[in-house]
Formats: sequence, structure tokens, C-alpha cells
Amino acid sequence: MIPIIEITNRALDGKPILEKDYDIRVFSPRVKELTKEHGIVYDSETLVPSDDGLADSIFKAAIDLICDVGVYCKDTERIIAFDEKEVRTEIKTSFDHAVLGEGLEQRTLLPRKPESEELPWIFAGAGGVTVSDESIFMRLVESYARMIPIANAITTPCLLSVDGATIRAKSPLEIEGSIRTVKLGREALRRAGRPGLPIMNAIGTAESAIALASGLHPDFGLRKTDGYMIAELAELKTDLDLLNRAALLQSLNVPIAGIYGPIYGGFAGGAEGTAVTSTAFHIQGILTYGASWTLCFPIHIKYTSSSSPELIWLASAYAQAVSRNTKVPALYYNYTAAGPCTEMVLQEFAAEFIAAVSSGASIETGGVAKGKYFDYLTPIEPMFASEVAYAAAGLKRSDADEIVKKIVPNFVDKVPDPPRGKRFQDCCDPMTGKPSEECFEIYNRVKSEVADLGMEFLY
Amino acid sequence: MMGKEIEALKQAVVNGDEVAVPYLARKALDAGVSPIDILEKGISEGAQIVGEQFEKMEIFLTELMLSGEAMMAGLEVVLPHVKAEDVPQRGKVVVGTVRGDIHEIGKNIFKSLLIANGFEVSDIGVDVPTSKFVAEAEKIKADIIAVSALMTSTLGGQKDVIDFLEQTGDRAKYIVMVGGGPTNQEWADEIGADGFAETAPEAVRVAAKLIEEGRR
Repeated sequence: MIPIIEITNRALDGKPILEKDYDIRVFSPRVKELTKEHGIVYDSETLVPSDDGLADSIFKAAIDLICDVGVYCKDTERIIAFDEKEVRTEIKTSFDHAVLGEGLEQRTLLPRKPESEELPWIFAGAGGVTVSDESIFMRLVESYARMIPIANAITTPCLLSVDGATIRAKSPLEIEGSIRTVKLGREALRRAGRPGLPIMNAIGTAESAIALASGLHPDFGLRKTDGYMIAELAELKTDLDLLNRAALLQSLNVPIAGIYGPIYGGFAGGAEGTAVTSTAFHIQGILTYGASWTLCFPIHIKYTSSSSPELIWLASAYAQAVSRNTKVPALYYNYTAAGPCTEMVLQEFAAEFIAAVSSGASIETGGVAKGKYFDYLTPIEPMFASEVAYAAAGLKRSDADEIVKKIVPNFVDKVPDPPRGKRFQDCCDPMTGKPSEECFEIYNRVKSEVADLGMEFLY
Repeated sequence: MMGKEIEALKQAVVNGDEVAVPYLARKALDAGVSPIDILEKGISEGAQIVGEQFEKMEIFLTELMLSGEAMMAGLEVVLPHVKAEDVPQRGKVVVGTVRGDIHEIGKNIFKSLLIANGFEVSDIGVDVPTSKFVAEAEKIKADIIAVSALMTSTLGGQKDVIDFLEQTGDRAKYIVMVGGGPTNQEWADEIGADGFAETAPEAVRVAAKLIEEGRR
């Protein structure tokens, strides 16, 4: 692992360049060149490619990219540079697992390979989407733990407000919100009878480093076996605040995730460039933060969701590139266009997770209704998504491709104007969190349709 | 001859050629082409094409921004030759990301599309203190203050800008638009924003409509 002080020194002493010039004159043209040089081509007829050569070309292009353009530090306006030998050494000597959870729930997050029968890691829950009050937060987290027995870890919602006051970044409201997120999450898991489950988006409400640091105090219930995420900024960037988190979390000896949301249609360009960039982000997490797992959540610049065919291909190609060539476990997170209690949201989850899991990724159940609307969450979506992810383990990529291509036409035309669905309070029992009959009917119907395509569900 | 030069200028804007655009603009001026024609039929039409291409995903963000830069380089050459009252003006917009939030890609797309659609834009960056939105709006006599936030924990900054305007008695002077990841129509309504859109192209249409409606 490259010491964080060394990374910081490079951020302070590296080549200076204005951010805009890095974006459009350094990063963007180089991605475009590399996709051509390595012959990487998106094929709209094959959403889950079975071509190992393509995956390896994406990986080689990603190494070239990070060696050629480095990682940009926004605060110092300098490039953190790496040479190829160093990059390859760090990839070979990186962490290859993370031990998460306590007691009966303790498990080891391991890397997977394309078509692997190893079950994916199931990081289930809200995906950090916002809820308007603490009782909904509690009911949801408790329901995730109860209704998703195969969940290895929980992702909590974020709180919008504290005692009615909208949270403000870097204010006492954010610190209080961060502490409450941890305490409420832990208590909800205890009530569900699964107190050892790890919270893998530890302190989802904390945006600033000071809020993260506040929530970390052991009095509030976080453990070393929870997951700790550090963002990588689009595209191939970081800043001193994020490096501060790495400095703190590395010293605490906790499992760190590099998390990143490459933008399809942004500086990386189309599907090919975004696949290369996603792969470079995985490497960035290893190099700059000492990541022991990573999380990729690509997003379409226009639709702000990830279920369009180009992004499904990207999820697959990226997962194959990193899982074939590194040993750091890679998780994939999605943004559905549709909201809860709709067929479309479940179809989107199925298409994306069948592609990602058969290609070597594990999963975090993603942001429903683009993660945009407060309270648009129920336990049904992560439950279904987790079951699909399990069923996708061991699937041949060619079979996954056939199945995905049969699911996508059900929703693809609705991506630009998707149904928003229903809020938690409109389709779940507020006292128990139990989803309505309508939610279950939709769940059973879509699950049955997916099973008819050849997916074998565990239960 | 004039048509040919204007066409070349328009194409240079579409190509995002920051060197060719001011060169061709100067050449057209030297050839006696009316500055208003250069603006409207060359630079603006080129920018319009780029905006449409981006919306159809025929080009991506880099190309959009390069065209924006090329267009600005062309404007620097042409505008000194045009009377202020003759410049077609769709409106002035202050754009920025709230205090505590450093995300800017969405804001930058909005800004580029505003420019492509003929708005004058002042981009005050990220992590912007509340009062700076208002001070900049005052300075450029803005029509719209557009406030971006990407994180749940920074959404409150959008409310702060509106509250600040209310408390200083300046709310009626400006249209306030909000946007970004977790922002939605309900939130916009709750905090009293005038406009919201899910995507940058839609936000440009909302901005134009709000200015047209004179919601002040």
C-alpha cells in the first residue's frame, strides 16, 4: 500500500493544472485515444459479453489511463502521478478480502470471477437514499434485516433532518444526524435479531470529514468490522478532505472502500470510455486509499439512472475487467429509473444484477427511483435484488446475456419517463414496515417471470 | 461569400475549435459581415446545434464544454462591435453549488447549455457561501439564481439561499431555481423555489419559461 503521506506529498508537489484543463484537455482525449488503441467497442447486441480479451483490453487501457493522466487533486490543483511498475505492484500486493460483521454474522468479503459459483456478497438496503423521518428509517432497516436473510451487510438510508431541522453540511445538524444514523441503524438491527450485521455505508449521512470523525466514536456503535467508504470524484479525482478520511481510517485499521460514480456521457464519453474509467477508478481506490473493496455506481448523464443498455454492458464489461485482473472485491450498485411498487423497478434490478454478478461482481442494492425522492423505498426492492443476485451466481455469461436481453425490452422505452411508484408510507405498514399485498403481488409476478427465463432462485 | 464564412464559423463552434472560431469571427468582421449576423447566424446557431446534439447523446460533455469555450472566444471578438441593446439577451443567470458541497458536473452541464442557448452566465463555483449567490446576482443584475446541491446533507443550503433572500427583502428580485442529485419538485415547492428540473436541458427550458413569464 502506498502510504497516505506519500499520496499527500504527490498531491502537494505534483504537476499543476487547472481542473477544467485536466477534464477536457488531458483526461477526456486520452480516454478516447485509449479505447481506440485497445480496440474496445460497445456492442448493443451483446449486453453481457463473454470475451475475456475485451475485459483484459479494458483493464490494460485503465492502467495506461491512470499512468498517463494520474489522479487529480481538486484542492491542490495538481496531479497525483503513478508509474506503471508501481501500479502493477500495488495491484499484485493489494488487499484481497475484508472481514465484516460480528459474531454469528461475521463473514469474509472475497473477490469473485466471471461465471463464478461463489455467491455474491449481498450488501442490501436503502443504498443511502433519503428518508424524511427516523421512524421510517428504523422500520426500513429492521425490515431489511428480517426480510433478506441472505443479506451479508446493511446499507442504511440517510436522514434529511434532525428534529425537524434540515441538515446542513459541516454544521452540528450534520454531526447529530451522522451519530443518529449509526445509533438508529444498530438499534434496528438488534431489534431484527441480527445485531452482528455490519453497516457497510457507515455514517451515510456524513458528508464532511468532521461528521465522519464524530460518528466514528465507539460510544455511538460503529465497529471496526463495519464498512467505511471514501468517495473518488468524477472523473479520476480526489481532494484533501477525502485523503483526510483515508489517513484517519487507515490508522484505525478498518476496511476501506473506494466508491465511484463514473458518468456515461460525461468526460469519459460513451460506454467504452466509461468502462475504462470505471476500471481505472477501481485501481485508483487501491492506489490512493488502500481500498480492500470497491463500489462502482455508474450513472447516465441524461437519465440519472443506470439501467439503459449501454450501462448494462458497461456494468458487465467493467466487472469482468476488474475481477479477472485484480483481487480486490468489486461491488456494483445501480440506480433504477422506476420507483417502489412497480414492475419496472424489479426488472431493472434483475437486468443489471444478472449482468454484474455473472461478470464477477458482488452487489449493493441500489438507489430506487434514481435515489432522488425522499421515502421512495420499501424492503421489497432490495429483497428481490438480493435474490436475483444469488440466482445469478454460476450463470454462464452467454446465458446471462440471453436472459438480460429478454428482460430489458420490458422497460427500456420507459427509462426517459419512468413511473415513480409509491412512498414507504403509501405502501408499507408504518408500524411493522411490512409491504402491502400489492407490493408482494408485483414481486411474485416479476420473480416468476424471471424464473421462467431460466433463473433458479434459492427460495 | 458571407454565407460561406458564417457557415464555417457555425461549423467551428460545433467542432469546439477554440482557435478557429475567433479567427473566423474576425475574418467575417473584416469582410464586412454584420456583427449581429455573425452572432445570430454563426455563433448562436452553432451553439444551438451543439445543445441539440448533446440532448440526443450524439456528443458528450467534453464536446459540449469545448464548444462553449469556442463560443466564448468568438464572443470576445464580436461583442465589442455590437451595441449592447442589439445583443439578443435571453437572461442572466448565477450558477453555483451550495456551501459544503464540492460537486459540479451537473452545474457545469447546465451552465454550458445555458451559454449555448444564449444566456449570460456567472459561474461562482462550488462550496459557495449563501451570501455570495446574492451578491453575485446583485452585481450582474441577474434574472435567475440557480442553486445546485448533490448530497442530502447539503440540500439545506438551497433553502438557506431562499431564506436569505426572504430575510433581506430581496426575494422578489430574483427567480430561484434548484437542481442536483437529491433535489426534486416536492423539495423545490417546500422551500419556495420558483423552478426545478430533473435534467440540465429541461432546466434550460424552465429557465427560459420563467424569465418569459416574468415571475418576479
